[in-house]
Amino acid sequence: MTSIDVRDLTKEYGGRRAVDGLTFSVRPGRVTGFLGPNGAGKSTTMRMVLGLDHPTTGTATIGGHAYARLREPLRRVGSLLDADAAHGSRTARDHLRALAASNRIPARRVDAVLEETGLAAVARRRVRTYSLGMRQRLGIAAALLGDPEAVLLDEPANGLDPEGIVWIRTLLRRLAAEGRTVLVSSHLMGETAAFADHLLILGRGRLLADTSVQEFIHARVQPRVRVRTTDPAVLGDLLALHGHDASRDAEGTWTVLHARVDDIGRLMSEAGVPVLELAAREAGLEEAYLDLTAAEAEFTAQPQEA
Amino acid sequence: MPFVPVLHAEWIKIRTLPSLRGALAAVLVTTVVFSALASADADGRGSDALFSVFSGISFGQVAAIAFGTTAVASEFRGGALRLTLAAVPDRGRWFAAKATAIALPTLAVGLLTGFVTLLVGRAVLGGSAPGWAEGVRGAVGCGLHLTLMALFAAGLTVVLRSGVATLSVLIPFVLIVSFVIGDMSGGVADFLPDRAGQVALHSDWDGTLGPGSGLLVTALWSAGALLAGGWTLRHRDA
Repeated sequence: MTSIDVRDLTKEYGGRRAVDGLTFSVRPGRVTGFLGPNGAGKSTTMRMVLGLDHPTTGTATIGGHAYARLREPLRRVGSLLDADAAHGSRTARDHLRALAASNRIPARRVDAVLEETGLAAVARRRVRTYSLGMRQRLGIAAALLGDPEAVLLDEPANGLDPEGIVWIRTLLRRLAAEGRTVLVSSHLMGETAAFADHLLILGRGRLLADTSVQEFIHARVQPRVRVRTTDPAVLGDLLALHGHDASRDAEGTWTVLHARVDDIGRLMSEAGVPVLELAAREAGLEEAYLDLTAAEAEFTAQPQEA
Repeated sequence: MPFVPVLHAEWIKIRTLPSLRGALAAVLVTTVVFSALASADADGRGSDALFSVFSGISFGQVAAIAFGTTAVASEFRGGALRLTLAAVPDRGRWFAAKATAIALPTLAVGLLTGFVTLLVGRAVLGGSAPGWAEGVRGAVGCGLHLTLMALFAAGLTVVLRSGVATLSVLIPFVLIVSFVIGDMSGGVADFLPDRAGQVALHSDWDGTLGPGSGLLVTALWSAGALLAGGWTLRHRDA
């Protein structure tokens, strides 16, 4: 069982804390989304977990060991940090061959991951001819090379086309289903909710939430109903009478908070109020996330002073 | 981690970059061609017999510096070093493998360069050519000096974390500064890395350093650069 354990991890750059006292565990068998606005400290944390950056204080271990102590680490942990890590003048195949050789990974794994990431046909082309999406796939191929128990991917969906995004979702789900530990960073909530089971949300280097996706939605996303009728005033009275928290926009459309379409539909039908439009608002997840991180965001636009 | 797989990986990296193959070819071609041209020109005049065969090394060593620099600089672009060190977290071992993977092909090409240059020089100079014993010493010295210059550049590139920075320090230094103060023979200039090793390519020397001690001084420069590089690598974030 390989879990990633981070304890009191802090990284200071000249007095500024990029990562501030982080403590969390990433468990195997599920996809953990590592969320936060740009500059929240996600990449810095990942680099410290991989032994690339030295923490100011605290520890990060994988399966109980510091990454730097692992023998042939690619066989235990796969990672994608930079899509541009492969040299433009090298072919994808040579790039992976060198990586495989360093950890005594058999050459057939090179062909297997090229096949798996859909790069087999272009494997002998120089990396500089690749699109950003193809370079991301090559980075993911490198992460999968050693058939690792744990996978850390920093913004893997960057530059992928819609087909690629569906592919990475399926891949991440499969890796978790195989019992691997999967940590995937992103700054987009909607994207992450599509594949993650668990969320770690970061803001200004601090952990804001460590929760399952279901719990997050349940606790933070308020159901809303959008409703329109022939006489907005009558509907307003009806909603007020039943104690609903509702607001009306300029066109007379009502938005009812904390309500479900079933309840509002039934209510209007019983009162004989004609329904022109009745819809549940699906949005809210992204807003809940923004809400949580807004106060902590590093680069929130400040209102200009006159 | 065992050393051999890491060396194997670094060797694959060197073999698969066309610019590195080009730099090694340039070591051979520039040294031989410039040496031959200088030999033809020096014919009959009272210059150093052995160095008139090997004078093209002044240009060949620039190619060796380019080789050492490029091999290391390729790790300092686009986060390549992070991927490398994620595969080989033992930084000292990785850098030792990288240095070995730079040294071995440079030495092979350097020795080949030395002997080809010697044969061409002897053919051009005819009767005034240096003897075989002296010639072989020059050829071996040529291989060693080129290797040491490549390693010196490799170490410096890690310290500066940039190929452009390294080349803009070393190339003007080797081509201009060293030439200018090098003419004031004797004294401190003889101990500069590119001058000291070249004593082995001379028939006569009047300075403090001889062929062996000259190469040793250049080796100390290279070792210093590599150690500084290793220290930097160990203590900085990747």
